[in-house]
Amino acid sequence: MSVKVSGKGALAQVLRDGVHSDTRSAVIVVDLDGENSITSLAKLTDPHIDEIYEQPMQRVITALQEAHSTNCERIVVVVPTTGMSGGACYAPQAALAESARILVKSAARQWGASGITVNAVAVEPHWFSIDTSISGAVAIAPRSLADDVSPVGIVTWLCSEAARDITGQTIVCDGGLWM
Amino acid sequence: MNARRLENRVAVVTGAGQGVGEGIARRLAQEGATVVVAARRAETGEPVVESIRSAGGQAVCIVTDVSVSESVDACVADTVQQFGRLDIMVHNAFMGGIPHKLEKAQIDKHWTPMSRTGVWASLFCARAAMPHLIASSACPKGEGGGRLILITSPSGVEGSANIPLYSPAKAAQRAIAKSLAREWGEFGITVNCIGPVAGSPALLTAFDRNPALQQAIEARTPLGRVGDITDDIGSVALFLASDDSSFVTGQTIICDGGSFLGL
Repeated sequence: MSVKVSGKGALAQVLRDGVHSDTRSAVIVVDLDGENSITSLAKLTDPHIDEIYEQPMQRVITALQEAHSTNCERIVVVVPTTGMSGGACYAPQAALAESARILVKSAARQWGASGITVNAVAVEPHWFSIDTSISGAVAIAPRSLADDVSPVGIVTWLCSEAARDITGQTIVCDGGLWM
Repeated sequence: MNARRLENRVAVVTGAGQGVGEGIARRLAQEGATVVVAARRAETGEPVVESIRSAGGQAVCIVTDVSVSESVDACVADTVQQFGRLDIMVHNAFMGGIPHKLEKAQIDKHWTPMSRTGVWASLFCARAAMPHLIASSACPKGEGGGRLILITSPSGVEGSANIPLYSPAKAAQRAIAKSLAREWGEFGITVNCIGPVAGSPALLTAFDRNPALQQAIEARTPLGRVGDITDDIGSVALFLASDDSSFVTGQTIICDGGSFLGL
């Protein structure tokens, strides 16, 4: 069964190419592009807030509603770990990531009675072009796993029938950096 | 007897015309801070000012709409013009949400008011206060210390089944606090959040209408009650505003009597 993946950028394409499911599923990649929007607070304008936070957040809300209206059983929202860690010069981006991650919990609470699961996958900031030499380290310890990691496997599992008892969770898929 | 730990400090508290903001304003004033009661309406702000003054504190009301950046800028500018400094910015004002189904939620009706007063306004308050908080932190120890305090909610951590769009607006504030804690650390400014459950007018009204709600909340709370806006919540704000918390930044203190234990 096809999985609808919404969102732009390399990560959305990787998920579009790699995720398949035996359920009706939707994957929402938060529309966050760190490369073009590094802004210290002193330079942050109201149009910046609209572009970096407000419009992408409204798109997350709309995408969740569309997933619900098309009877998706599994919904996965993909965010960078920056929302959990915070990021210097990335305040509105971090706000977006954390808003989306916690909205997942609200959706899981409301839609659970209908058998719909809603979960989040938090990935390394580089997937969203966030420069951790600027934002600051995600964790106090170095990354545990040495190899590159891909979120395709965990997103595929969360979209599967096997994950029917998991909802409202955030799975961190970053090779053991954020713990 | 209060120790007057905030003598000579100036604080702005948004949404201080009632509820948690009022409690924080009172508690900071009890400790010697000059408090700007930033309220959307003078009818709510002025009585709080009079009450603080009657108790021996110093306060003024500046009418402020936190959803408008120019209004926040003007509040801060007026504060600095009147008192010469700003040491503590507390953003508490928030246009609370109404229960809704997420699948039927309307952006303009259910999301925008909370986004503007929660997320946008946090950034407005931080941006306007920033140069003054830097100046405060440059003062000798004991004479200053820039503090930004954002009032979030336990729902910003655990989501909400009744008001689903409330939670992401409150979650954003925690992420902003962590981000600015990193960004402003070099200046010595601390940025923290409080997640209260307190006897605000809205909650007390809800209890009057639905006593079962009060019983349910108290039953799930280890301390068996909701917080007092001044003694319980205001005192946590005092800690974060004072020199006692000078090495605490980027944190959220959930102040709810132990109801939420998930951090």
